[in-house]
Amino acid sequence: MSPDRSTDAPEPGSLGGPDDLDDETRTAVEAELRCLADDDFVVAERYTEWQVRGPTLEADIGIGNIAQDELGHARLWYDLLEDFGHDETDLVWEADPGDFRHATLVELPFETGDWADCVVRSYLYDHYEELRLEALRESSYPRIVDRVGKVLGEEPYHREHAENWLERLAEDAGGRRRLQEALDRLYPHALTLFEPTDQEDAIVALGIRREPLDVLREEWRAIVVPVLAGLGLEVPEGDDADLLPDARGRDGTHTDAWEPLFHEFTHTYHDLGREEAVSLMPDPDEADV
Amino acid sequence: MSDDRETVEAALEDDETALEDDETAQDEIEAADDEIESAQDEIESALEAVASEPSYCTYTEYREGIEVADLPATGADAEGVEAAVFEQLYGVEDPEMPISVVDLGLIYDVSVVDGHATVTMTLTYTGCPARDYLQEDVRLAAARAEGVDTAEVELVWSPEWSLEMVTEAGKADLREFGVSV
Repeated sequence: MSPDRSTDAPEPGSLGGPDDLDDETRTAVEAELRCLADDDFVVAERYTEWQVRGPTLEADIGIGNIAQDELGHARLWYDLLEDFGHDETDLVWEADPGDFRHATLVELPFETGDWADCVVRSYLYDHYEELRLEALRESSYPRIVDRVGKVLGEEPYHREHAENWLERLAEDAGGRRRLQEALDRLYPHALTLFEPTDQEDAIVALGIRREPLDVLREEWRAIVVPVLAGLGLEVPEGDDADLLPDARGRDGTHTDAWEPLFHEFTHTYHDLGREEAVSLMPDPDEADV
Repeated sequence: MSDDRETVEAALEDDETALEDDETAQDEIEAADDEIESAQDEIESALEAVASEPSYCTYTEYREGIEVADLPATGADAEGVEAAVFEQLYGVEDPEMPISVVDLGLIYDVSVVDGHATVTMTLTYTGCPARDYLQEDVRLAAARAEGVDTAEVELVWSPEWSLEMVTEAGKADLREFGVSV
């Protein structure tokens, strides 16, 4: 057990349902969920750009599948935010771009034609994701516990996919050079995955997540740095404070890449004059039978 | 003669003692009756409190996951209206393969209370593009069952679905379709 782990925190699953939380707890739960949901949603938005541009047809299908999983996971986390009275319209389609709390890593555009960018990003992201989700397995918020196992079960092949491609690209000098460039560009943004929201202390104290983000960051570094070094890549060194980009994502600040992406995926919604997310099926509460 | 008299007096005393005993017993019975009455009052006021509470919310308490060993729910032991719901659910097929949602192992529980059916189900994976569609199909099927007025679907993700959840009949359907299981 990590010495940082809050031992006085409530027991796993003991917080009760969305209607049982006091305001302070609810705010903390929402902050954690918002990061999980937005990371998955935005990373999937970017992955889908590769769906018809991968180096092989199988790579197209692979990345398309991973994007589909991440969208599925985003939906699970947004569901839990909807328990608190939000809906898809205000969470996504009519949200302010500044409401999103994803890390800047997932919003960056890919360097044109650079599959290595997609591979390195996925590798850094999927290892982060595993650690954060593992720290939620014993969450004090039962609705998270109920679904995190399912999400974790769908993640291992994402990591295998990324590692498989990392090794393949690292086999020759040209591939290694492109991996290195991607790593130099993306690594500082990957650090924003571990940046805290203003609810970090409450999230840990209330046992919503069992490990603080700075502990997870060190665990992550201990996994990815040796692997990348083993492939002949140099991981940027220095204090995180110096490496981190100005925009941190988790505090609502984003890179210049975010607003164009946000407007791109909400364009059709506005173009069609929508005022709410359209459901293909009737709302269960409004159905006649 | 004096012996007889003493015997009579002793008998009279015994009677008196017996009478006193009777009275004590009666007091005890009355006290017990009072207790029963106040307990009945408590039950009644508790029942009134329950009836006046807001409508049932599925999220107010956390239930430990359903035991994997008991899954999936196939309706084998179901009776009455619940059996009728299962019969309808066997008619709902997965959108991709000719197998019912019951045989695919997606149904975890069916309960009907006062004409309201609740179907607890899962999906094979989180990214299922037919989530809304399947849930609605299941809800409508449950609502069609004789004795059901309204129906809802509760989607759960724990325990996680796996191939183990597919019934023997479901495996046969999948093999016939060309999927090896």
